[in-house]
Amino acid sequence: MSELSVNHLLGIKYLKKEDIELIFKTAKHFKEVINRPIKKVPSLRDVTIANLFFENSTRTRLSFELAEKRLSADVVNFSAASSSVKKGETLVDTVNNILAMKVDMVVMRHPNPGAGIFLSKQVDASIINAGDGAHEHPTQALLDAFSIQEELGDIGGKRVLIVGDILHSRVALSNIYALKKMDAKVMVCGPKTLIPKHLHKLGVKVETNLDKALAWCDVANMLRVQNERMDVNYFPSTKEYVKQFGLTKKRLEKLNKELVIMHPGPINRGVELSSELADSDQAIILDQVENGVAVRMAVIYLLAAKIKQL
Amino acid sequence: MRKIILKAVRIIDANSKHHQSVQDILIENEIIIKIDHSIEDSEAQLIAIEDLHLSPSWFDPSVSFGEPGFEDRETLVNGIKTAGLSGFAQIGLNPNTNPVTDTQTGIRFAQQYNSSQAVEVFPLGALTKEAKGKDLAELFEMQQAGAIAFTDYKQPIENPNILKIALQYAQGFGGLVQSYPLEIQIAREAQVHESLNSLQLGLKGIPAFAEEIQIKRDLAILAYTGGKLHIPFVSTKNALKLIEEAKADGLQVTCGVAIHQLFYNDAVLHEFDTAKKVMPPLRDEEDRLALVAGVESGIIDCVSCDHLPRTPEEKQVEFEHALPGSIGLESAFGALNRLFGLEKTISLLTQSRKVFQLEEYSIQEGQKASLSLFLPNENYTFSEHDVISSNKNSIFYGEKLKGKAIGVIHNNQLLLKQL
Repeated sequence: MSELSVNHLLGIKYLKKEDIELIFKTAKHFKEVINRPIKKVPSLRDVTIANLFFENSTRTRLSFELAEKRLSADVVNFSAASSSVKKGETLVDTVNNILAMKVDMVVMRHPNPGAGIFLSKQVDASIINAGDGAHEHPTQALLDAFSIQEELGDIGGKRVLIVGDILHSRVALSNIYALKKMDAKVMVCGPKTLIPKHLHKLGVKVETNLDKALAWCDVANMLRVQNERMDVNYFPSTKEYVKQFGLTKKRLEKLNKELVIMHPGPINRGVELSSELADSDQAIILDQVENGVAVRMAVIYLLAAKIKQL
Repeated sequence: MRKIILKAVRIIDANSKHHQSVQDILIENEIIIKIDHSIEDSEAQLIAIEDLHLSPSWFDPSVSFGEPGFEDRETLVNGIKTAGLSGFAQIGLNPNTNPVTDTQTGIRFAQQYNSSQAVEVFPLGALTKEAKGKDLAELFEMQQAGAIAFTDYKQPIENPNILKIALQYAQGFGGLVQSYPLEIQIAREAQVHESLNSLQLGLKGIPAFAEEIQIKRDLAILAYTGGKLHIPFVSTKNALKLIEEAKADGLQVTCGVAIHQLFYNDAVLHEFDTAKKVMPPLRDEEDRLALVAGVESGIIDCVSCDHLPRTPEEKQVEFEHALPGSIGLESAFGALNRLFGLEKTISLLTQSRKVFQLEEYSIQEGQKASLSLFLPNENYTFSEHDVISSNKNSIFYGEKLKGKAIGVIHNNQLLLKQL
């Protein structure tokens, strides 16, 4: 396979396994590029990309921007608080305004699930979903899976545990899709209040005891508790949460194996992950960040190739 | 109305001796004068349309327009025309206007065209003032003015004591109280059915039990107060079971379902299509099948199109911002006829009158002429072309439907589509 089966990256759900493999192969090449003394390639000199962030983001936006610049694309940035852009007309109008300035590709983060899909039907540009509500965050899932592959050699058959606030997490859903497509085994762990009722139907194991879950897995991906998305208290206190679901060195010492520890950032140190572990060799958190740029370069590059064909 | 002769029409009316026969019908001054194989009258207006079928006129108990306050959704005049050309001579009109229809003045306003049109509006009054769920509206006065039931439409009655008081109070004058079945603290901000589909869409879901515990609550209150309770929209298998049991226990409870609920499950939401966003939400296939079975068995008393026009600004936006609802008058007959066949469909389109204690009609000589006119054998794909409403927010586009209504004769008036 030499090109993607899709014209937009709206979610992992819409990708084939071969798409993911192609993205990884391309990302591997770009990772080598960004480690050269001259980190830039001229591939996208005639492509203009708009980064539209309708929700706050620092890391994802920086990572995309860097990826775009390493590919020599022209970049424009737009940020708006979600509260000021309430209606879809405004969203379509905003994007059409920017497209009228001859933008080829839109990277969008938006608080509403499906916003990227909505946009892809309304405007004539290639859309990359950089997170839409609790729906998907496909580039995060791709960089996570890419990092696992890099660390363990292969994803197929590996046991990956996702811990924490699954209910409010787009990262969890996209990760589950990506890992299942790459034939990994997936388990989630957290308080039952933060695990969607029907999650097991995706072929995912559900566990509420972190020690049991850790004994099962090869990789533990620790998610942040998203207090800002909670309409009620899903657990009584952070203290209780940490006691049950915080990953500490003490917990790991009970195991007779080395786990790979991941986190999509930003970390609440001392909550889902102790500082000691976050800074340990077992944690590949900063590799994830580096791989994020390479994977996003790959996605942009491969989608741009499809625009040129049109 | 001038004299009318309907030529060679097939009569669908299980209560008439002319059921399933092809006849000429002479109508004069609102009365069916003669039904015979061949009637000639040179003074009469002739209506001769190939394959024309007639039945006693249809009634839909849950229609929303928008006037006053939301005229951009639909006006009374165009709404009435839409209903008539869709075969409905009588409609129950919801109080979801601005201001809310919560006084006798509002009830009279909704009926302003009743004397001059072929479509008769039966308003539903709000149960509580401004439909806020706090204090009872003036139910007796509204009933005197013509209200056929009391409802805060799709605002659930959060406070059980309000329902208790309403059920007790309305018994004094035989008022019918409606309660929308949703436990709002469980549903919270969610807008779709909780299922694997909602999970995959990243949308918060309303679990089926949010409907069921509200119905359980309401039935417990009804058992205490006595009186009559109507649950206008059920959407889950277990909700139906609860109502079936309550009926068997002798409670005076009735229920209804929206036609789109019989047609679709929540899998159709997979591309965040806001046209498919409705309340109650589309549920599982198992629920859908149970609802269809409930209609067939008669546990469900009323079938409604739940006509709810929305403007493009309210619909063509991101899924979470889009308002729920679909227009339904234009597709009602074709959808039901495809699902249930003609005779059952006609029975469904007329039987809700019992719940609301409205006059029933039959096609016999000497009876009042209240008729729906339709072509039941036309197969087509439903499209914007079929829509008469001011707004086009239909859930049924692209659906293969069977049969089209073409008009009504009611109230000494004829309303007929240009064919």
